[in-house]
Amino acid sequence: MTALVAVLLALGAILFTLAIRRNDLPEAASVSPTAHLEEKKAIVYDNFRDLQFEYRVGKLSDTDYQVAKAVLQRELANLNAEIERLGGAKTAVPATQVKPVPAMGTVCPKCGAKFAQPLKFCGECAAPMAKGGAA
Amino acid sequence: MENLGAIAILLAFCLGIYALVGSVAGAWRQKPFLIASANRAIYAVWFLLTTASALLVYALLTSDFRLAYVAAHSNRDMPPLYKFAAWWGGQEGSLLLWSWLLSCYSVVVLFTNRHKHRRIMPYVSATLMTTQVFFLIFNAFVANPFRVLAVGREITSVPDGNGLNPLLQYWAMAIHPPILYLGYVGFAVPFAFAMGSLITREPGDGWLHTIRRWTLVTWLFQSCGILLGAGWAYAVLGWGGYWGWDPVENASLLPWITATAFLHSVMMQEKKGMMKVWNVVLISATFWLCIFGTFLTRSGIVSSVHAFAQSPIGKWFTGYLALVGAAALYLILSRLDYLKTRSRLESVISRESSFLFNNLLLLVSCFAILWGTLFPVISEAVTGQKISVDVPFFNRVQIPVGLSLLFLTGVAPLLAWRRSSPASLKRNFMLPGIAGIGTIAVLFAAGMRHFYALVCFGLCLFVASTIALEFYRGARAISVKTGQNLAAAVVELTRRNTRRYGGYTVHIGIVLMFVGFAGSAFNKNLTVDVGIGDTFHLGRYDLKVLELREGENPNYTWNHAVVDVSTGGSHLANMEPERRFYKSSQQGSAEVSIRRRLHEDLYLNFAGMTDDNAKAVMQAYVFPLVSWIWIGFWVLILGTLICLTPSRVRARKARGAEPELADELVVAER
Repeated sequence: MTALVAVLLALGAILFTLAIRRNDLPEAASVSPTAHLEEKKAIVYDNFRDLQFEYRVGKLSDTDYQVAKAVLQRELANLNAEIERLGGAKTAVPATQVKPVPAMGTVCPKCGAKFAQPLKFCGECAAPMAKGGAA
Repeated sequence: MENLGAIAILLAFCLGIYALVGSVAGAWRQKPFLIASANRAIYAVWFLLTTASALLVYALLTSDFRLAYVAAHSNRDMPPLYKFAAWWGGQEGSLLLWSWLLSCYSVVVLFTNRHKHRRIMPYVSATLMTTQVFFLIFNAFVANPFRVLAVGREITSVPDGNGLNPLLQYWAMAIHPPILYLGYVGFAVPFAFAMGSLITREPGDGWLHTIRRWTLVTWLFQSCGILLGAGWAYAVLGWGGYWGWDPVENASLLPWITATAFLHSVMMQEKKGMMKVWNVVLISATFWLCIFGTFLTRSGIVSSVHAFAQSPIGKWFTGYLALVGAAALYLILSRLDYLKTRSRLESVISRESSFLFNNLLLLVSCFAILWGTLFPVISEAVTGQKISVDVPFFNRVQIPVGLSLLFLTGVAPLLAWRRSSPASLKRNFMLPGIAGIGTIAVLFAAGMRHFYALVCFGLCLFVASTIALEFYRGARAISVKTGQNLAAAVVELTRRNTRRYGGYTVHIGIVLMFVGFAGSAFNKNLTVDVGIGDTFHLGRYDLKVLELREGENPNYTWNHAVVDVSTGGSHLANMEPERRFYKSSQQGSAEVSIRRRLHEDLYLNFAGMTDDNAKAVMQAYVFPLVSWIWIGFWVLILGTLICLTPSRVRARKARGAEPELADELVVAER
């Protein structure tokens, strides 16, 4: 009995580990080259919010507030310049470290249906769009 | 079924190695199938370890004495709760708990980050699995909890087990080890993320936000574990102490200190991009100290009241500690360019410098504790003589360091980022300063002459005033703007910035604990041999022994006393301390009686009977203000939970609403 359960346990664990289907792979995420700069920009906003709150509640003198604000503005200007240099936050490139995305198409190779956007599977007959469809 | 647990552990070990190799190879060769398969293996490791743990617990609950572990750490008459707690009552079970908790953390990390941190996740998995495999080596080959009792090739059994150590048969002790382990094991996750980010040179601090929250949860568990241990020592060991600078206690405090330092200095990295190297060093040190703490607890290299184990696992731990230290050091040194700081310290009088001093003091405290803990081992290696470092050494160093940290707790929130002008300093420090100095003056005038107690009480009021002022100023600003009353404004204020005001709440908890610590300067104690009708006095209390009884049940024999407590002729309470002697383990334990009040505890311990069995040896203690330590603990938990709740402003921002204040900055920039 113990031997049988042990064999089942081992087989189950090995099967679970090795039987990976393409659908089990996580979707590829697009990574913006300026994401970390946008992140820093958000921190500058946060810092400014804190600064202004402390000024408003009377913890900071006028001079301290103005100096700190000028520094934050300088930081923001530098970040904006850097983001612009890298081509703007809108540019996104696919991550290189993730699974290859299954090819997609706009014309179904099976039923010939046409779609405005590239799809993995046909919206009419559910056939894979990977082969033959125009990307 | 007795072999099934061992097989599950062996399978988990094999899959752990596969997950480790698969994650690294998958990331290196960019094979998403291999990475996904390695991730599956991590889930399988968790399932197998859960199966093994469930089998061990089942064996304990059903008193299956064919297993050597069950026979050594439980007996038939133990209550089910303590049979369950026997899972971590011995070396083998305790190491299995470590492994199981790590596997739980690993699957939580994998699941919650399945769409995030794509580049670093395989390395995070690999780092976690390295530790997992290390502990699975113990579970499978060195300290297997499924070893069966056998004569020749025949599996045998014993009629009854040895029972659990009686000191562990206490409710707080039933939950103290797993909670402390949740802390110890949890620090593996921030370490894994730090190593992952160093290996891949991940741009940005996105991973840092993930581990900050994680570190906070783990820190909370570690705090609970330490405080539960202190509460257990206070209520069970019979001498009324909650902290004895015992090596095993110190082992749990060391990673807590470095994690505390990290939780403060990480703000510098998040807000200012500073102290990146330092933060990675702190994360690595915290994890290293967790492994080191487990090593101290489990190897028996230093003698401790906990004295869990004397075993040959030391050399394995030494090797792993060297590996972790060397790997972390190599990665940090080879990635110094990646960790370059973009800002510099502008002024000594700034919040940045107060964080820096806070970190330095925590490091001094940590090093002093480490030195004192390891001194017996070092002295034996150098001189051949084992010289123990006693409580006074620790107190001499830790009290001034602790008071300095308390001072910084009050100062830091009042300083501005970058620099504070004399005008701001005067405005912020006037009231709290007067409160602190005024407290010292009043207490001195009232006759208090204990230097450290005076300073501590003064600083406690100073810090409490600074925090109260912070809440008041913020709440008043909201109240003026929205028309809410002050109490509602305080709630609103806290909800708007949970991290800041949760942090202040944690600081209030720490202040309350310091009030309790300072009270120990005025402890009183007395040991007397008393018979029925005898009276003795301690402090303002008159104590009279009314009854002395003895008896037994299947688990233990007992001596029980009933003591009448009165003051100035008026009756206050009857206290009933007890002494127990457990039959299976042949060990004694105390069931102390404590009358808890906010200003002081009266504590009675039935230490035993005199040699002629005619009188009871009674130890009586008065512990002023000790209850504030436990109250502070609950406040600390509350504060940490507030910190973990998302802020309302940040949540709004996450939904896309640009904060109005930030708009002003953008407009100003344009």
